[in-house]
Amino acid sequence: MSNDNIVLYERKPLPAKLPLIGWSLLLIGVALTVLAFSIDNVRASYNLIIVLMMVFSVGFGSLFLIALEHIVGADWSVPFRRLTEIIAAVLFATPLIALPLFLNLNEVFSWLNPVVMDSDKYIKNKSPYLNESFFVIRNIVVFLFMFLFYFLLVGRSLKQDKTGKADTKKWSTKISAIFLPIFAILITVVAMDWLMSLEPKWFSTIFGVYYFAGSVLAALAVLTFIAITLAENGYLSKYLTEDHYYNFGALMFAFTNFWAYIAFSQFMLIWYANIPDETMWYMQRGGEGWMTVSLGLIFIRFLFPYLALVTRPSKSNPFRLKIIAVWVFIAHYYDLYWVIMPEYTKKTELHAPVYSWFEFTVPILVLGVLIVVFSLVAGKKNLMPIGDPKFRKGMEFHL
Amino acid sequence: MATDITHEVSVIEGKPTLKEIDATIIKPMDEMPNIKFFIAIGFTTTLLLIGVFSLGMAFYRGVGLWGVNNPVGWGFAIINFVFWVGIGHAGTLISAILFLFRQKWRTGIARFAEGMTIFAVMTAGLFPLIHVGRPWLDGYLMPHPNQHNLWVNFTSPLLWDVFAVSTYFTVSFVFWYMGLVPDFATMRDRLKNSTVVSKVKKTIYSVLSLGWRFSNRHWSHYEMMYLVLAGFATPLVLSVHTIVSFDFAVSIVPGWHTTIFPPYFVAGAVFSGFAMVQNALIIIRKVFNMEHIVTLDTLEKMNKVIIVTGMMVGYAYGMEFFIAWYSGHEVESFAFLNRAFGPYTWAYWIMVSCNVIFPQFFWIKKLRRNIPFMFVIAILVNVGMWFERFVITVTSLSRDYLPSSWAYYVPTIWDIGLLIGSFGFFFTLLLLFTRTMPVISIAEVKSVVAGSQPTRHKLGHHEEDEHNG
Repeated sequence: MSNDNIVLYERKPLPAKLPLIGWSLLLIGVALTVLAFSIDNVRASYNLIIVLMMVFSVGFGSLFLIALEHIVGADWSVPFRRLTEIIAAVLFATPLIALPLFLNLNEVFSWLNPVVMDSDKYIKNKSPYLNESFFVIRNIVVFLFMFLFYFLLVGRSLKQDKTGKADTKKWSTKISAIFLPIFAILITVVAMDWLMSLEPKWFSTIFGVYYFAGSVLAALAVLTFIAITLAENGYLSKYLTEDHYYNFGALMFAFTNFWAYIAFSQFMLIWYANIPDETMWYMQRGGEGWMTVSLGLIFIRFLFPYLALVTRPSKSNPFRLKIIAVWVFIAHYYDLYWVIMPEYTKKTELHAPVYSWFEFTVPILVLGVLIVVFSLVAGKKNLMPIGDPKFRKGMEFHL
Repeated sequence: MATDITHEVSVIEGKPTLKEIDATIIKPMDEMPNIKFFIAIGFTTTLLLIGVFSLGMAFYRGVGLWGVNNPVGWGFAIINFVFWVGIGHAGTLISAILFLFRQKWRTGIARFAEGMTIFAVMTAGLFPLIHVGRPWLDGYLMPHPNQHNLWVNFTSPLLWDVFAVSTYFTVSFVFWYMGLVPDFATMRDRLKNSTVVSKVKKTIYSVLSLGWRFSNRHWSHYEMMYLVLAGFATPLVLSVHTIVSFDFAVSIVPGWHTTIFPPYFVAGAVFSGFAMVQNALIIIRKVFNMEHIVTLDTLEKMNKVIIVTGMMVGYAYGMEFFIAWYSGHEVESFAFLNRAFGPYTWAYWIMVSCNVIFPQFFWIKKLRRNIPFMFVIAILVNVGMWFERFVITVTSLSRDYLPSSWAYYVPTIWDIGLLIGSFGFFFTLLLLFTRTMPVISIAEVKSVVAGSQPTRHKLGHHEEDEHNG
């Protein structure tokens, strides 16, 4: 190749105002959360679970995308892998977000209440799994595994910028292969612990897959938005094309459908069999007030993104993609709100959806965490994996 | 120093000329079949005859010949149906989903897998028709106004199966046939009008090729059509086995009603389908000297799909078991303990070892590239997936809510005869396919030979081009 010498990427420092925005959002978010906890720690805890699950989705979903790239040997995504790696660092914020929850477990998880435990033999039966010490232990194990794989997957990639060693690829592929089965178990544990066990009686074998589908979408949405925004403002390579973006659109489209498929499967089977122990979860979400939110989920999480992404131009047009990415991310929030908050209104016997500044703390906090972590971790790093032997090939990607 | 990892290994080994590709792929259709072929088809038609005889007996004497009874009212017929529908999943997955993922390695195997899909779905379709017990009523499966006022039960997933499977068959068939059109044209053009036989052949291929003349416009329509069909076929693949899983999962039978069934069945179907493609291709590439087209690299990639889908199935087994306990429902927990340690424990552990444990050998690269070894594993996977359907269907029914009616299901010789017959039917069709149509897409293989891809400007090569637009 005669043009190996052209410079594909030159580092341009991120704007100084980015950390400023991030920190101010984060501080406002934290202040509001502290205030919320002091006023109504039950409601605040439920909202903080949404924050935790969103940040977790983005981090774990990103780690999944990195592993996926390595294991299938994708080319197109190599130029964006560094961004994914930086975004995945939000995983380190999850223990901090979880900390106030660990201190308030009694406020949200009714299976910790001995009265509830003894009143129902089905819940009592779960006590070997649903008990405080095991809950804490297995969540710490989840955190440790996440950090371990973060370092294993991302660490060498960062070093590669300087060394340009090709054998890193082989190592990453192996680590990814080991990571993916473990990932499947970990994300299932998280989904069951923090979401499914909010209603201790309810159970669904597909629930881990449901949260997985949403998580990948959330991670993709964040990546798409950041990648396109940075590229448009010249922080990435000028050689990126719409063909690169096309894959973001195609993947969001695919996972939107996948989410709908999983959500429909879960709903359809429970509705059809009509067993009270299973339908209770949907009955809670079909009650007065919540019915509207439930129907809205179909449109917001599936139909709108589906129609928005179905044509080819919208899969690669940067402007449209950015809007869709924001939409998909909000839809993930909507989805988690729909999964978590009905349990709060049930507990407090409000029976109708609530939304006030308590809930509005969630997006502020999530954005604050994302921006702060991104600007901190991005720091002085290259935003593209220049040492990766496949980087050039990835840049030359065409549909 | 490691090999250059940015260099992608060509799908086709060596650099055969276009003419050589034509010759290699069309060779089985040019020559008189040899003795091996007659032995093979003699064997498969014998199996088929066993099936036909068992079927004749079932029609003559009634389905009372089978092992089904109370409480196991669903026996081999539904097991075989689900098994064969599952086999049919690899074809469309390879040709449609891998196409959308831009996976070039699918080229060598897509046509064959599509053909298999068609035959597997045909085989599967036989079983519900037989299982109805009164085959003269099969026509009513398609809802139509009639003087008896006989209507199907629209709320039954068994009816949705009728729609799903027939739609799937139609789309797969169109997809397969459209891909064949350029190849039929190639075969038409190669034949000379010298003998009567070649005249007849030429006429047939001319009709089948629908006037294809390899013009630029033909190709551009073709490619658009192919993409659209791939887009249609992708959700269809998922829907078919999803609906098959509904057959079980909507019923309130312990062990059947679980929400993970749809994706779990789809993963299992792809798993078994890939194993079957693997088995058949290993033989075909050897017999027809196509080892440079269906390469070892391709087989290795298929093994990777097998291990991934195998682990998905394993995840579902694990989740089912865990949630059965977690739910706290006695019948659910019993159903699963009964599967693993009850009277059918042998079947359950055949299933687990064949589907979850044995594929783990594919973690080792040497074994993943060892042809005899992968052949054995693929057979085991098929055995395991057949037993999966057996375990799901039989264990749950044989011990349901009413212990006084529990019974041990034993298939009769006629059940086994029909199962054997289904293999005979499938492999006979497959053998006929290899003699009459190109088992590998000639046109597509030509497009992946090294050097045939369009070359693009390397980055920075023509900066001025970008300014010009």
